[in-house]
Amino acid sequence: MINLSHMSQSPQYSEEDQELQRLFPLVKRWKSLYLFVLAELVGLIILFFTLSRFFS
Amino acid sequence: MTTGMALLDWLVMAGTTLAIVLYGLWKSRGNQNIRGYLLSNHDMKWWTIGLSIMATQASAITFLSTPGQGFGDGMRFVQFYFGLPIAMIIISIVAIPRYRKLDVYTAYEYLEQRFDLPTRTLGSALFLLGRSLAGGITIVAPAIILETLLGWDTNLTCIGIGALVLIYTVSGGTKAVSQTQQQQMAVILLGMALAGVVMVLMYPPELGFVDALHIAGKSGKMNLITLPSTFDEFASDRYNILSGLVAGTFLSLSYFGTDQSQVQRYLGGKSVSEIRIGLLFNAIFKIPMQFGILLIGVLMYVFYLFSPNPMFFNEQERQAILATEAGPAYAALEERYHRLDDSVSTSWQGWLAARNAGDTQQEAMALEQAQQLEATASRIRAEGVALISEREGSRPKDQDRVFLAFVLEHLPEGLVGLLMAVIFAAAMSSSSAELNALASTTLVDIYKRQIRPEATDKHYLSMSRWLTLGWGVVAICFAILAGQFENLIEYVNILGSLFYGTILGLFVVAFFLPSIKGKAVFWAGLITEGLVLAIYFLPIWSEEIFGWLNIGYLWLNMIGCVAVAGFGSLLQLVLGAEGEKKKKP
Repeated sequence: MINLSHMSQSPQYSEEDQELQRLFPLVKRWKSLYLFVLAELVGLIILFFTLSRFFS
Repeated sequence: MTTGMALLDWLVMAGTTLAIVLYGLWKSRGNQNIRGYLLSNHDMKWWTIGLSIMATQASAITFLSTPGQGFGDGMRFVQFYFGLPIAMIIISIVAIPRYRKLDVYTAYEYLEQRFDLPTRTLGSALFLLGRSLAGGITIVAPAIILETLLGWDTNLTCIGIGALVLIYTVSGGTKAVSQTQQQQMAVILLGMALAGVVMVLMYPPELGFVDALHIAGKSGKMNLITLPSTFDEFASDRYNILSGLVAGTFLSLSYFGTDQSQVQRYLGGKSVSEIRIGLLFNAIFKIPMQFGILLIGVLMYVFYLFSPNPMFFNEQERQAILATEAGPAYAALEERYHRLDDSVSTSWQGWLAARNAGDTQQEAMALEQAQQLEATASRIRAEGVALISEREGSRPKDQDRVFLAFVLEHLPEGLVGLLMAVIFAAAMSSSSAELNALASTTLVDIYKRQIRPEATDKHYLSMSRWLTLGWGVVAICFAILAGQFENLIEYVNILGSLFYGTILGLFVVAFFLPSIKGKAVFWAGLITEGLVLAIYFLPIWSEEIFGWLNIGYLWLNMIGCVAVAGFGSLLQLVLGAEGEKKKKP
């Protein structure tokens, strides 16, 4: 089925996590990057909602 | 015939466009094998992938129409993109490792590995059908607008855009497409940002940026988040938070995960990680970019509250209606509309002054007056548009023309040329990706797989170039044909999206439902396509009988996907049981 090994929770970084770190040293795990993208979406929705209210 | 462009504009437009074409040729020189031509030898970095994905999605009509959408309908269109980040994460986790593990050239190749040849052929045929029509539209849509605003011949513009695209796409393949798309995105973002900044600088001195947003909000244009209040709104309104998050996710999944014009942009990535970051780059920046483009439209709306604007932005349509029996009535409406120009501007200035002075009573009175005047102007315009739409063969929508009309009328020399280069860059970036994908799907899924499996690499490379050229000629011919019947464009755009749900369904079954086999999913795909076409076309055929089926076409992606999975499961039960019976003597 779906391979989620690149989202490993263990303290040891998976091979894919290590490759991510080579490209983006600040991001340690794929899971963190996915969560960041989702958090940005939620943040934008909240910001847009606030802007809608503020400027209505 | 006026061109509306100064010599400097021509130089900027031609210089920018030709520089991008030459850059594409130079960067992709020495491409000697089919792997390099179709997969860029797996050497693409994440930023190339990210920009390439963004540029493929953003066609010229996006940059012409989206500010117009903001101008007319406000910011709510931004919700359409809320599903995109979710889809990008799902594709990164589910699809990318599979595509790369099997080292496929096209997404549909994966369907044969998972199911069988008929299912692969069904997937690629649905893609070729939808995308080949859309390829022509990508070219003709801006050409028609350039004709109405600048008097350029639509056919010559189509041939010009098509020929420029073919020069580097035939020669350099995927690498040329992706490399040029980086430059095209840079030109597009620079041009749009400058247009927005110059627009705000042209505001009256008493009107600041934040004031403009307040006025836009009072005029109902800052509707960034909207919730459907009834089920009808939920189903038929394309742009609200729920349709954006749910239906938008399905649309993005099918477009970015299964449409070869997008899949080809990332299959050439250096590694799974580079591809994933490229996709997530798009997930992070796409919504802010669309927000910015819509905001330009909203700021333009405020600009026109303080300066006279045409009642209808399509001058050809205006002249046509004035020449008919309804002409005097239309002219009278126009006169009434323009009589309000000064009053609207004065009332908003009064509101601003009262607000800055802290006089709440005066502020409320001025606001009420301004809103009433705006509502009156809207009603008069609606009456004018109704008159236009009564004329046979008329084009009663002017949304796509608003932004370019503003550019030509108000922006300084040089910047007009840059904005024209933006339109060309956007048209070229989308159509080059489409031609590249059409050629690779025809070569890999049809020609190489089913017609001539054993040939030399050199033969396939040569064939790819001929196929790119062939699809380019088809796109130009279709563009010229569609240019004669503009209303066709809207239908073809919708028609393309009618296939996405089924294609996505095939892939969802492939990824998540391992018990369903090839025969079941193939027939499920065919049945679903019939169902989706019926849901869309029956209400058009008879509103009285099938009006209840009328739903926003965005939802068809989800229906198609779910139906393939549902029919596939049922058919697998039936076919599986039959198979068992046959096995038992």
